[in-house]
Amino acid sequence: MMSGIIDVISIVIALLACLFAIAGTIGLFRFPDCYTRLQASSLAASTAPFTIFLLSLINAADVAQAFRILLIMVFFLISSPTTTHIISRYAWFSGIIPWTKPGDKS
Amino acid sequence: MKNVLFVITSWVFIGCIGAALLRLLLGPRGADRLTALAVISSLILALLVLYGTQEGRLLYLDVALLYDVFGFLGILAIARFFRDKESGERKL
Repeated sequence: MMSGIIDVISIVIALLACLFAIAGTIGLFRFPDCYTRLQASSLAASTAPFTIFLLSLINAADVAQAFRILLIMVFFLISSPTTTHIISRYAWFSGIIPWTKPGDKS
Repeated sequence: MKNVLFVITSWVFIGCIGAALLRLLLGPRGADRLTALAVISSLILALLVLYGTQEGRLLYLDVALLYDVFGFLGILAIARFFRDKESGERKL
């Protein structure tokens, strides 16, 4: 009974992770600017691994494995937004103007 | 059953890594290349954690933690280097 519930939750979470990764990769190719690409790729660069961490956490075999996955999750919560901020600050200081619609004055 | 699920998720992630590698090769500016590099680093981290859980070995999880730290530091160093190079002042 318990393992059946875990199986169903695992399938749902794995499908969500695949969806996030594919959507982020499509956004990496279809968006016009580096800022918009950064926004789209944060879907594949932080949401998909975090979903995979949740999948691994509910499938962990013992306590040592679960603690290591929790440690990775805590550090990933710190490092992933910092990476995005570093890249966007580099793009801003290297003089890239954010993309606007061709007829848009603002 | 669960093995098949893990293998399918791994192959989807490997396909996404290949597509991001294409963006890394043909990105017009440095920021696009850094974005693709961050995507590749995070997806490889997810693959390491997934494989470690599938095989039940703790070594992959330790390697994943170190890979997270060094990927973060690597992107920080590359951004710093590019900024120094583009502003023209080489501080050695």
